[in-house]
Amino acid sequence: MKPAPFAYHAPNTIDEALAILGSDPDRSRLLAGGQSLVPMLNLRLANFDHLIDINRISGLNHVRIDGDRLAIGALARQYDVARNDVVQKRLPVLSRALANVGHTAISNRGTIVGSLCHADPAAELPAVLLAVGGELSVQGTSGMRNIHADDFFDTSFTTALDANEIAVEVRFELATGTTGWSVEEIARRHGDFALVGVVIQMTLEGALIGDVRIALFGVAPRPQRMSTAEKQLIGKTLDDTVLDQAVANVTASLNPPQDIHATAGYRRHVAGVLVRRGLLRASEDAKLRT
Amino acid sequence: MATAKHAVEFIVNGEPADTLVEARRTLADVLREDLDLTGTKLGCEHGVCGACTVIVDGRATRSCLMFAVQADGCEITTVEGLDVEGKLDFVQRAFTENHGLQCGFCTPGVLMSVHSFLKDNPNPTEEEIRIELSGNICRCTGYQNIVKSIAAAAASR
Amino acid sequence: MDKVTSAVRLPKDRSIRKGKWIGARVERVEDPRFLTGAAKFVADLELPRMLHAVFVRSPHAHARIISIDKSILPGLGETTFVFTGEDMRDVPPLIDVVTLETLLKTPQHSLALGKVRFAGEAVAVVTHTDRYVAEDLAELLGGGIEYEILEPVANVAAAGKAEAELLHPDIGTNEVYRETETHGDVEGAFEAADQTFSLHFHHNRYEAAPMETRGVLANYERPDSQLTVWSSTQMPHFLGSIIAGKLSLSNQRVRVIAPEVGGGFGQKMCTSPEEIVIPWVALQLGRPVRWIEDRREHLLSATHAKEQFVNLEVAVKTDGKILGIKGEFIGDGGGYSFNTESALIEPALAAKAFPGPYRLETYQETVAASLTNKSPAAAYRGVGWTACNAAREIVIDEVARGLGIDPADMRRINMLNADELPYKSITGQIYDSGSYKESLDKALEAIEYPMFRAEQKRLREKGRYLGVGISSYVEQTAWGSDSSAQAGTPLPSHDNSTVTMDPGGKVTIGTSVSGHGQGHETSLAQVAADGLGIDIADVRVLHGDTLTSPYGLGTYASRSAVIGGATVARASADVREQVLRVAGRMFEVSPEDLLIEDGIISVAGAPSLSKTMAEVAFAAYWDGSLRDDEPGESHQPLLSSTRFYDPPATYSNGCVVVLTEVDTDTGVVRLDRIVVVEDCGTVINPMIVDGQVHGAIMQGIGGALLEHLIYDEDGQPLTTTYMDYLVPTAMGMPNMEVHHLETPSPFSIGGIKGMGEGGQVAAPAAVANAVADALAPFGARITHFPLSPDNILRMIGKIE
Repeated sequence: MKPAPFAYHAPNTIDEALAILGSDPDRSRLLAGGQSLVPMLNLRLANFDHLIDINRISGLNHVRIDGDRLAIGALARQYDVARNDVVQKRLPVLSRALANVGHTAISNRGTIVGSLCHADPAAELPAVLLAVGGELSVQGTSGMRNIHADDFFDTSFTTALDANEIAVEVRFELATGTTGWSVEEIARRHGDFALVGVVIQMTLEGALIGDVRIALFGVAPRPQRMSTAEKQLIGKTLDDTVLDQAVANVTASLNPPQDIHATAGYRRHVAGVLVRRGLLRASEDAKLRT
Repeated sequence: MATAKHAVEFIVNGEPADTLVEARRTLADVLREDLDLTGTKLGCEHGVCGACTVIVDGRATRSCLMFAVQADGCEITTVEGLDVEGKLDFVQRAFTENHGLQCGFCTPGVLMSVHSFLKDNPNPTEEEIRIELSGNICRCTGYQNIVKSIAAAAASR
Repeated sequence: MDKVTSAVRLPKDRSIRKGKWIGARVERVEDPRFLTGAAKFVADLELPRMLHAVFVRSPHAHARIISIDKSILPGLGETTFVFTGEDMRDVPPLIDVVTLETLLKTPQHSLALGKVRFAGEAVAVVTHTDRYVAEDLAELLGGGIEYEILEPVANVAAAGKAEAELLHPDIGTNEVYRETETHGDVEGAFEAADQTFSLHFHHNRYEAAPMETRGVLANYERPDSQLTVWSSTQMPHFLGSIIAGKLSLSNQRVRVIAPEVGGGFGQKMCTSPEEIVIPWVALQLGRPVRWIEDRREHLLSATHAKEQFVNLEVAVKTDGKILGIKGEFIGDGGGYSFNTESALIEPALAAKAFPGPYRLETYQETVAASLTNKSPAAAYRGVGWTACNAAREIVIDEVARGLGIDPADMRRINMLNADELPYKSITGQIYDSGSYKESLDKALEAIEYPMFRAEQKRLREKGRYLGVGISSYVEQTAWGSDSSAQAGTPLPSHDNSTVTMDPGGKVTIGTSVSGHGQGHETSLAQVAADGLGIDIADVRVLHGDTLTSPYGLGTYASRSAVIGGATVARASADVREQVLRVAGRMFEVSPEDLLIEDGIISVAGAPSLSKTMAEVAFAAYWDGSLRDDEPGESHQPLLSSTRFYDPPATYSNGCVVVLTEVDTDTGVVRLDRIVVVEDCGTVINPMIVDGQVHGAIMQGIGGALLEHLIYDEDGQPLTTTYMDYLVPTAMGMPNMEVHHLETPSPFSIGGIKGMGEGGQVAAPAAVANAVADALAPFGARITHFPLSPDNILRMIGKIE
């Protein structure tokens, strides 16, 4: 399985990359980690006339606090981000999610931003971004813009990025207060894409839920926030009634896909199970940070 | 132009190597065919099985998911770079002592993954070993003796 | 000698010399070349002027080929060559060799001729010096092929419908076989029954998925009319004979070499059509041609396995005694009843092996096989037996639950005792020896069965669902004429090993068994070392090359320890005799008064009178005074012998027990413990035996939980990459605890039995039974594999 021919470019700056991209954006593709793109090329499921390798561009592999954001550059590798001290301390949900993402060799090259731009409906990182909040910093020929997490994911493998733009950084919101997280997923094997999964961020105010964000993945063409369930949880404590209600809200709102790995009915039912587990775990996690 | 050739240079197993390649040729193919280092194997060519794992600039890498042009200027270690004039290294020793291979096809990829893993985690638990090893598929051993071999390799250091 | 044994033709002396090597955990001598990356598989071999071949494969499940326009390819006839089924129409098709009267045959052209019968069937082959370009050209050619799509036959049910399109119109049906055999008074048994149970089980379609896909390199040297074929095959000699036959060459001019083979598991036994095409192309072009299958191609077009419908009805008494069973075994053969063993390979072997370790003397077996538009079914470890074991062990547990009897007791009530063996089963399988109850007891002891039951009860009250699954098995091994006849697909057999000692006292063995991971270079060296009294470091085993190995059928169906072991032991014994005759003359004593130990030959009782093996060997070759013939006479070659063996069937046995916990909210099955008791008679290398058990168990678990080749209603394959076809990884496997019993075979030479498939035969049932046991409070029934989380929640009614 060898890929079809393409012209290869390895620009040294973003501007160079944008120039090449701009000349034929629909038949060009950016190459960062390549762990999702190259299999598709090898399988000839996709082909492009131009492959623009951005790995030579410097200044894109940072992981740093920037005000109330955790900023991760386009070339920061998943392996490094998972183990980064700042991430583990300030946004541990990202490390936790990364533990499920793939195997070492994959995460050695795969990037955070790349995974977000790839927008696989069953991937963990888009759901993390949606749950935690933040934005992608995107550069085009006319300058920089930010695309908020809520506006970034369009449908399967499609984001709000234009064909002639490059995402250079993701900025995750850093929660304040007594905040905890959980990542729950069911996969057929460790490291596989999830059949269904949930990322939850919960902030407690005393014994009550002050804020909660529930992002499901694997149940729709893009990750989904469970806004009805979220609203109903604010100001409540997590007892059985409250949990049952949250689960009911979630399962009622879903219209999950069917494929060879799981039916819609499975995904709907288990989404509810994982939301229940996730809410309890996020709550416990938050309490640890008191 | 799509079929243009690119000059690439790298250091493979400590030796400089250079070749002229079309951009679409994978690192795996270039190592195997241009440099005659056939120890690295192709099991799936879509990044799942791990048979093609080599070490690029210190990191375990799927050589089927990297184009040779991307590796220009890199330091690469393949399975051929492990033994010293036929003397097996500590991981290889542990594998033969613990029957960690049967048909041997997945073995080079496993050995490279193990080297990279033990560097970062010299005293792994069995669970950590199994998690790490799940990135390499084997059809012969049921993984049992591979896990045993990795534990033995770690302990031998 | 009892009636059963007397029916088996056996050599009088079946002993072999056992010393320090047989039974020892010896490190494998072949390991270094694999560990250092020096081992060469077919993809690692290159020849000057070699062309790469890429197959164009049908995207349609069922279609007529209307036209293939070669002219669209640039450089046709110069830099690229293309061949189609039309070009190869005079090459005889591949066909099965099973001699059953009513089995309909479905010849298969190596490149589809006129029509395609499964998505992925090869319709053309394209060559170029660059593999990447060859793929570009194949894609181009494929885009221009015109097909007339025919109604697909998606599954067995569809195949049997009156309006179904016929895959092979010549035979007038899609069902190539259906026969029923009745043993004993089956109707009487059902009338006398207190209760009857039934099970309709659909065993999933999955495949061997070796780490190394298939590959063929062929080179035809015109001046010598010599064809050399390197193929990732398990049967080099047989393949050579087939190639010679199909290509009208003399077998003498066809050399087949199995280089290192990266796993076969039975899939690389039968002839792949590609193994005919590539040599044929090499003949046309007079230069080397190499095809290396890629993984997607493999999942599409390498042979599939295991898919069967097993329908059982069981008549029992309330005390648990099984009075009789009716079984219908229907194989989904795919697009062709595949060469060598036919579509009966699954259902016939299942039907004949069904009685297993139980006393079943009233039994009706219906064997059937249907064609469908899927990749053809052929052998894969535990062939036929996995499905029958699964259905049988699952239904036994269901009966036990229904009657309120402990499943272990249910088995004991119906099991054969060790002292009843040798025993001829109702289907004609002669079990030579075994430890059925003993292995069951040992396995249950290992898991502390009563304690587990108590723990299970306690945790059930807390809403946790643990389960234990038992699977007892008998494993047919030593595949030769006897085994294949007893299995249900009679085939002749032939194997040899040649043992030669050189003037330096070192030994080279050429053997017809053909290892692909089983460590034969070590285990057979162990046998020879004991036979000759030398160190295994002085023994070299060659296999896989028809030039340096004597003729034989290769390695599959757990035959190599028995056949390789016997032929090597016998030939070594001959050479030992020759050595001692020469040494006797050197010492001027009778050979009976000599001992050999660690390569030293000495006179018994006078250890100072000794010579090294090297000294004796040298003398044997060069010292004329030690020869025993008349001067001038040509004499027998010294220090070499070739021995043949077509073994009687031998039957290993064992028991697999699995402990599991099922999460009834998510359907996830967690395997907590696996205990295997394996009895394969005399063991040559226990380390290798354990390794085989581990691998077989893992593959069985793969089939039970993960692996599934899925087609949609249009015959389109949906599992075409490793993203969708899921094989077990290290995280899914608990530690396997392997225990051994050793009940030697009274029939085979050395008492050796084969092994290697038992885990794949028995593990799926153990997993299924553990899950069914865990979910018994929900009344869950296992009717198909794999036991995906979705399947589990469905079984307990949590989703529809």
